[in-house]
Amino acid sequence: MPAIACRNLWQVFGPGADKALTDALSRSGNDADKAATDLRENGFIPAVQDANFEVKEGELFVIMGLSGSGKSTLIRCISQLLPGTGGEIRVDDQNVIGASKKVMTDLRRKKLGMVFQHFGLFPHMTVAENVAYPLRVQGVSKRERLDRAQEVISLVGLDGREDSFPRQLSGGQRQRVGIARSLAVNPDIWFLDEPFSALDPLIRRQLQDEFLRIQATLKKSIVFITHDIQEALKLADRIAIMRDGKIVQIGTPTDIVLRPVDDYVREFSKDVAKGQHAKVASVMRSEADCGPDDPGLTTSMTLDAALAHCMELYEPVPVRDADGNVVGTVHPSDLAAALQVDES
Amino acid sequence: MTAVTDLPTQNSAQLTAGAKAALITVIVGAVCLVLEGIAPWLVKWPTAWELPATQWVGAFLGWFLNLIKPAMRLFSDLMTYPMDWANYVLGNTPWPILIGIVTALGWYLGGLPMAALGFLGLSFVLASGYWAESMNTLALVAVSVPVALIMGGGIGILANEVPKVKSLVQAVLDVMQTVPTFAYLTPLLLLFGFGPVVGLIASAIYAAPPMARNVMLGLERVEPEIKEAAIMSGGTRFQQLFQVEIPAATTQIMVGVNQCLMAALSMVIIAAVIGGFNDIGWEVLLTMRKAQFGESLMAGLVIVVFAVVIDRMSGTLATERKRYDSRVVWAMLGFAVLFTLAFRNWLPNPSELTLLDPMAEAVDSGLTAFTQANGPWLDAFKNNSLFYVLLPLRIGLDQAVLPFTWGFQWTSTMSAGLFAAGAAIALLMAWRGRLTGGLIVLILIGMLETGIANLPWPFVLTSVAALSWVAGGWRLAALCVGLLCTILVSGLWERALLSLYLSGAAVFSCAVLGGLIGLASAVWEPVWKVVRPICDMLQTIPLFVFLIPVLMVFQIGEFSAFLAICAYAIVPMIRYTRHGLVNTPEEMMEAAISSGATEWQIMRDVRAPYAAPTILLGLNQTILYAFAMLVIAALIGTTGLGQSIYLALGQADVGLGISAGAAMAVLALIADRIVQGFAEERRAALGL
Repeated sequence: MPAIACRNLWQVFGPGADKALTDALSRSGNDADKAATDLRENGFIPAVQDANFEVKEGELFVIMGLSGSGKSTLIRCISQLLPGTGGEIRVDDQNVIGASKKVMTDLRRKKLGMVFQHFGLFPHMTVAENVAYPLRVQGVSKRERLDRAQEVISLVGLDGREDSFPRQLSGGQRQRVGIARSLAVNPDIWFLDEPFSALDPLIRRQLQDEFLRIQATLKKSIVFITHDIQEALKLADRIAIMRDGKIVQIGTPTDIVLRPVDDYVREFSKDVAKGQHAKVASVMRSEADCGPDDPGLTTSMTLDAALAHCMELYEPVPVRDADGNVVGTVHPSDLAAALQVDES
Repeated sequence: MTAVTDLPTQNSAQLTAGAKAALITVIVGAVCLVLEGIAPWLVKWPTAWELPATQWVGAFLGWFLNLIKPAMRLFSDLMTYPMDWANYVLGNTPWPILIGIVTALGWYLGGLPMAALGFLGLSFVLASGYWAESMNTLALVAVSVPVALIMGGGIGILANEVPKVKSLVQAVLDVMQTVPTFAYLTPLLLLFGFGPVVGLIASAIYAAPPMARNVMLGLERVEPEIKEAAIMSGGTRFQQLFQVEIPAATTQIMVGVNQCLMAALSMVIIAAVIGGFNDIGWEVLLTMRKAQFGESLMAGLVIVVFAVVIDRMSGTLATERKRYDSRVVWAMLGFAVLFTLAFRNWLPNPSELTLLDPMAEAVDSGLTAFTQANGPWLDAFKNNSLFYVLLPLRIGLDQAVLPFTWGFQWTSTMSAGLFAAGAAIALLMAWRGRLTGGLIVLILIGMLETGIANLPWPFVLTSVAALSWVAGGWRLAALCVGLLCTILVSGLWERALLSLYLSGAAVFSCAVLGGLIGLASAVWEPVWKVVRPICDMLQTIPLFVFLIPVLMVFQIGEFSAFLAICAYAIVPMIRYTRHGLVNTPEEMMEAAISSGATEWQIMRDVRAPYAAPTILLGLNQTILYAFAMLVIAALIGTTGLGQSIYLALGQADVGLGISAGAAMAVLALIADRIVQGFAEERRAALGL
C-alpha cells in the first residue's frame, strides 16, 4: 500500500471552479490538456492538472519545478491546506478530498508533519513551545510535551536554544526548529515545502546532509518540494518534474538526467554534472568480451567514480554487481561520452 | 477601481478622458451662467422641489429609537454600575497613590522616560486644580474603553471568520469613519437622556471601529505559513485563532488598543457639549464661553497631558519592548502608599490647589496685552484673509468685491474681462497642447467669479460626475452623483455647499502649505526634526482643544474655525508628502544620480512622481480630517452642515442631526473615493 496516492488530481482557482472543471472535462472528453486550455480561456487558473503519482512507504519523493509550476499548490492539496477541485488523494489509505474537518484534524495530529519555506514559526512562542505546539493542541500534559520537544530539539542539534524566540535565531536555526516541530508527533508522512530554499548555500548543504541523516534513521514517507535540480537529484528516491501545473516526468535521478522525456526536462539537467548522479549500470553493455584490465567497477558506482578508476584504460572492462559477479562490461569511452554535457 | 488610462492618447485628434470631462463641465457651467437670468431654478434648487427628507428621517428614527429604547435604557442602567464604581475608585483614591500607580505603570511599560512622563504629567494635572474633573473624565474612559475593546475585537474576529460579514463590516466602518462625531450624539441623547452614560456610549461606539479595523488587519497580515503551520499542527479553528493567530497579530492589535484609547478620550471630551457631567471637557467649554481663556487653556493643557500620557504609554505596547525590573514597580507603589499614610492628614485637597492659577492669570493678561499690542496687525491679517480669500471663494467676486471690502464695486465689465483673460489663458494652454489644463483654468475662474456657495447645482453635479468618471469610471460617477442628488432633494444643499466651501478652502491651504512643509522636511533633515514633534503633538491633541488657541487670538467666527481646521488637517499632508518623497527606492535614486541628474532634477523627475500616490493618500486623509474638524469647529461659528448638526443636538432634533450628518458623510465619502481613485490610477501607472 502506498503512503500517498494521487489520482487525476486537479486544483482549479476561480469562482465556481468545481463546476467549471466538471464542465471542461466533459466538453473535452476527459482530455486533461484540452480541459486545462478550456479552463484558462474561461479565466480559471488550473494550478494542478490531472496529477497522478504514488509515494511508497519510506520513499523520499521530490516534486521539482520552477516558481508558478504548481508544486506548492500540489503539496497543499495533499496536506489539504487547499481543498482540491477534482480527483482523489489517498493518504494512509483514506481519501482526504472532502474529508470532514475532524478526520483531517485527527490525521494531522497523528500522521502528518509539514515544514515550510519561510519556517512558519510562531513568533510569540519560544523554540521549545513552538516544537511542543502540535502536542499542546492534542492536550498532552506540559511535562510530557516538553520532554518530547527536548528529544526532537536534540535530534536537529539545537540543544541550548530551547528558550530562545524565533527572532533571536539565524535562518538555518529557524528551519531546524521548523523541522523539529514537524517531527514532534512522530508523523509517518512528512511534507517539506522548499525547506532549504530561503537559506544560504553553505547552510543549505549542511541542512541537506543532516536531513538525509535524519531520514536514514526515521524512514518517513516524504513529499519534498524544491526548485533546485541539484537538491532534487541529491535527495530524491524519485523525482516528479512539474511544468505549468502538469507533471511532465516522474523517475529516478538517473532517469531524469540520462533519459529526459522532453526538451524542458533536458534543459534542467543540462548544467548537471551527470557523473555525480548517473550510475555505471546506465551505460553498461551486456556483451562479455573485455580487455585484460579489471579496475573493479560495480553497477552502483557513479560515472565519475568509475571514470576515475579507468583513466588510463582504452579497452572494455568488466562490471560486477553487489555480490561480485560479473554482469556486463563498460567501455571507458562510453563513460566519457555519457559525461559530455548536451549541446543540443 | 478601473483607471481610465487605457483611453487612447496617441491620436491627437481624439480628446483624453480628462479633456472630455473638463470640456463638458465648461459647457454646462457656461450654459448655467448664461441662463442664470431667465431660469433662476438652474442656480438655486427651488424649495418647492425639496422633499421633506429631514422630517421623514426624523419620524422614522423617532419610531425606531422608541422601539429599542427599553432595551437601551436597560443597558444604560447596567452601565451606570461600572461607571459609579470607576468614579468612586478614581475619585476616592488619594492622589499620591494614583500618581504612584501611573508612574509605576510608566516604568513597567517604558522604563525611566515613561515613568518620568507619567509622574510629571499627573503632577501637572494635580497642580492645575482640575484633579477631580480629570478623574471624572478618566472614569468615563476607563469604562468605555473596555466596552469598545470587546465590541471592536469581537467585530474584528467575526469579520475575519465569516468572509461574508467582512465586506459588510468594512463598509460600515468606512461610513462610521466619515459620519461626524456630533451626529452620533443626537440619537444617543434621545435614547439615553442627558447624562454621562451618553458620553460613555458615544465614546465606546466611536472607539470601537479602530479596534475592529486593526484586529481585522492584524489577523489578515499573519503570515500564511504561520496559519498553515497551526493547521498542520492539528489545531481546531478555535485553537488556531486564540493560540496562534491572535498572539501573532499582537503588535497590530496593540496599535488598535492605542487608537481605541485615543478615540475614546477624544469622544469623551467632545461629549461634554451635552453636559450633565462635571468633567474636564465641560470645564474647557465653560471657561471658553466665559472667555476665561487662561483657564480654558489650562484645562485644555490638562487634556493634552492626558492624551500624551495615554498615547505614549499605550504606544509602547505596539513596539517590541524590553522588560523592566519589576522590583522598581513595587518600590514605586510602596513609596506612594507610605507617602499617603505618612502625610494622610496633611494631603491638600487637589480641587483647592491653585498652584497654576497665577499662570492662567498671566496667560489671560498676557493675551490681552498681546491682542491689544498687535490688534491692528491681527485684525488686518484676519480681515485681509476674509475679504480677499475666504469671502470671494464663498460668494464669488461678483458679490464679495464691494467698496467696503476691496474699495471698488465689481461690475459686469470686470466679469467679462476676467472671463476673457481666462479664455485667453485657456486658449494659449490648449495651443501648447495642454487642453485639459486650460479648461481647468477656465473652470476655476468661473468658480471664483460665482463663489462656491452660489454654484449652480447642474454645474456641481456635472463637475463631480466628470471628476469621478476620470478618477474611477462610470460606476464611481454614478455613485457620486446619486449620493449628491440625495443631498440636493433633501433641502440641505445650500448648507452642504457652505461646508464644501469652508472645508475646500481649508484643504486647499493645507495641501499647499503642508505639501511645502513636507517637501522641506524631506530634503532637509533639520526641518523634519522640528516639524515631527509638532506633528506628533497635533495628532495627539483631542479635536476640541484646537479651538482654544484660535479662539483666544481671533475670537468667534469663520476665520477662527478655518484656522482650527487647518491646524488639525495639515498634519497628514505633511507626513505623507515627506514619507512619499523620502521613501524613493535607493536603486532608483542611484540610477538617477549615475545618469547625472541634479538634485532638483531627481526631485522633479524621480522622487515626486514616485511619491504621487502617497501624497494623494495624504490629501485624502487631509480631506477626511477637515470634515471631522468642520463639525467641531461649528462650536465657534461656522455655517453649513456642521452648524445644523450642532443645532440639532441642542434641539434634540434627530432628523436634522442625522440627515446633516449623513450629508457630511456623503461629501467626505465622495471626496475620499475620487482622491483614492486618482491615487489608485497613479499607483497602477507606476506598477505598484
